[in-house]
Amino acid sequence: MKIVVCMKETLDTTKEKRFGPDMRLERPKENAIINPFDEYTIEEGLRQQEKHGGEVIVLCMGPATATDTIRRALAMGADRGVLVTDPALGGSDAVGTARVLAAALTRIGYDLAIFGSAAADAYGGVVPAAVAELLGAPLLSWAGKLDVDGGTARIQRQADIGTQTAEAPLPALVSVVKAINDPRYPSMKGIMQSKKKPVDTMTLADLGLAAGQAGADGAGERVLGATAVSMQRKGEMYLGNEGAAQRILDFLIEQKVL
Amino acid sequence: MANDIWALAELTDGRLAGISLQLASKAAELARDLGGQSAAVALGTNTQAAAGELGSCGVSAVYASEGAVYDQYLGQPQSEALAGLIQKHQPRLVLIGGTNYGRDIAGRLAARLGAGLVYHVGEVAVEGGQVVMSVPAFGGAQAVKEAFTGAGTGLLLARPNAFATQRVGGTPAITQEPAPAAPGTGARLTGTAGAEGAAEAGHLGKAPNGDDIWLPAATQSKLEEAQIVVSGGRGLGGPQGFAQIEALASALGASVGASRAAVDAGWIPYAHQVGQTGKTVKPTVYIACGISGAVQHKAGMGTAGLIIAVNKDKDAPIFSFCDLGVVADLNVVIPRLTELVKQRKAGA
Ligand SMILES: Cc1cc2nc3c(=O)[nH]c(=O)nc-3n(C[C@H](O)[C@H](O)[C@H](O)COP(=O)(O)OP(=O)(O)OC[C@H]3O[C@@H](n4cnc5c(N)ncnc54)[C@H](O)[C@@H]3O)c2cc1C
Ligand SMILES: Nc1ncnc2c1ncn2[C@@H]1O[C@H](COP(=O)(O)O)[C@@H](O)[C@H]1O
Repeated sequence: MKIVVCMKETLDTTKEKRFGPDMRLERPKENAIINPFDEYTIEEGLRQQEKHGGEVIVLCMGPATATDTIRRALAMGADRGVLVTDPALGGSDAVGTARVLAAALTRIGYDLAIFGSAAADAYGGVVPAAVAELLGAPLLSWAGKLDVDGGTARIQRQADIGTQTAEAPLPALVSVVKAINDPRYPSMKGIMQSKKKPVDTMTLADLGLAAGQAGADGAGERVLGATAVSMQRKGEMYLGNEGAAQRILDFLIEQKVL
Repeated sequence: MANDIWALAELTDGRLAGISLQLASKAAELARDLGGQSAAVALGTNTQAAAGELGSCGVSAVYASEGAVYDQYLGQPQSEALAGLIQKHQPRLVLIGGTNYGRDIAGRLAARLGAGLVYHVGEVAVEGGQVVMSVPAFGGAQAVKEAFTGAGTGLLLARPNAFATQRVGGTPAITQEPAPAAPGTGARLTGTAGAEGAAEAGHLGKAPNGDDIWLPAATQSKLEEAQIVVSGGRGLGGPQGFAQIEALASALGASVGASRAAVDAGWIPYAHQVGQTGKTVKPTVYIACGISGAVQHKAGMGTAGLIIAVNKDKDAPIFSFCDLGVVADLNVVIPRLTELVKQRKAGA
């Protein structure tokens, strides 16, 4: 089975983030990490490969330096990486990103393409559906459990209303939620091997896309500015067990919650 | 292009999700400000009843499409039907819920139409004839203002509870549209997960006496839409701690949330996790019990109306962003508070 896992590079959530003068998030290389949600994406790709054989390919669109982040995914066990990188890609929105990933998936070929539930830097969670639409493919979304059997993928999904089951014929796209697995840590051997694994790069032209189809020029929205929000809260403190519950009750009544 | 503002209703198995009414209320308000018409789109079964509910929030029209296909396939028929309607009527803006339902449709729709899509929106207003959206960034410390670039229909994914439901009353003009055929290669729903899935969603763990602890159905659903959330963290000390949280939540009519530490420990299912890698909630009141207040947790609840924290460590970071901070032992405070709330409700 040919499995492609789509992994975004994001910023370490514990580090301070800033906007640059162009109102884009500054992305210092040393703060780059695998999008935390995509650790589950990669892990699920590896588990499906353990069951069904075949190849796991990590697909990432990002800056040229993202090869380092791809290697961390290869250290977990993936076979090879594909990085789509191009100066014209900066400022891509969800649709632009989806056009790039869809074109790359078509070139690479796939039976199963796995996505995370969202990028932790923007909480979109829309790229998997956008890619599915462009490919005319089914998307099994929000999977908490995935089983592939013959030519059919079956999931348990976390719908807003509870757990559901769904299925689709391969080739299919799947987006996974955190509950699906526990991502492994790369082993020493994995880290060593990852250095020799191939990472191919592709540009917009390689994918047959024009500059206006992705990147800032192709984006359907623009940032007007940002303002600091006063996060001022009442900050009342109450010390000690004695009378604490009564104080909370009174507070709820004062605030007209009860 | 018209100045019309639409809201996409969320209909699943004939049930209308609460966020639909929030979106319809906002669509009516924005259309008034822009001098356009407001409408809601309802795709699924039981659309007639849904249309009445949506109309009561002030939208002047409802495009309804009745069909079981919407309950059988994920994303595809919905985006096909909605794209057809948008191409025909060209609204200025479509409001969609930032839920799992909404994101599956919005992503497909944006790709299909090549439309601008702004997500995680907390506020939207008309400024100088332009639709301006505000998106919280950096855990709510910054508000980023965004607008659409092109002339086409813009898509907005709203955070649950970003907008208030306003029952202004009204009877909408209902237009029925045909439902599309089932997609050839679709993602097809085959059922609810049955006992196994339900157990995963509602099982809290074992009490010290060996009994299973279950969440009642009322508190299982719709964490994102809850007006009161009671959350527990590692400070609960074990799954049985959630029995206390659950008791308080049911006394208050609240939903149960959790920190990642509590989820990772296996005390409560992931569906309850609040934070950067969990759900984003914006209730009127958020009560954090035994939660230290890490930035990743704050990212999911920092914009709550009021934050109450119970923590025995006076230096816990959560005390730097709460409205009422109680430095005490939750094992004493939570059961007592539950009693007090019950007494008050019984007396009222
Ligand atoms: C990439 C990434 C993503 C993450 N995403 C999330 C996320 O989505 N959500 C999330 O919550 N976390 C997330 N985290 C984890 C986060 O950093 C914290 O580790 C986590 O929130 C801590 O959970 P906690 O507050 O329950 O536990 P702790 O930090 O251990 O705090 C427990 C608190 O309970 C108090 N306590 C103990 N006993 C009692 C008692 N008897 N009475 C009162 N108080 C008591 C203690 O004083 C302490 O402050 C993420 C981390 C990373 C790196
Ligand atoms: N630049 C990217 N490169 C590779 N995969 C991506 C990229 N952006 C998004 N994805 C995938 O799409 C998922 C959802 O991302 P998003 O819709 O941006 O929140 C992620 O978890 C990834 O699997």
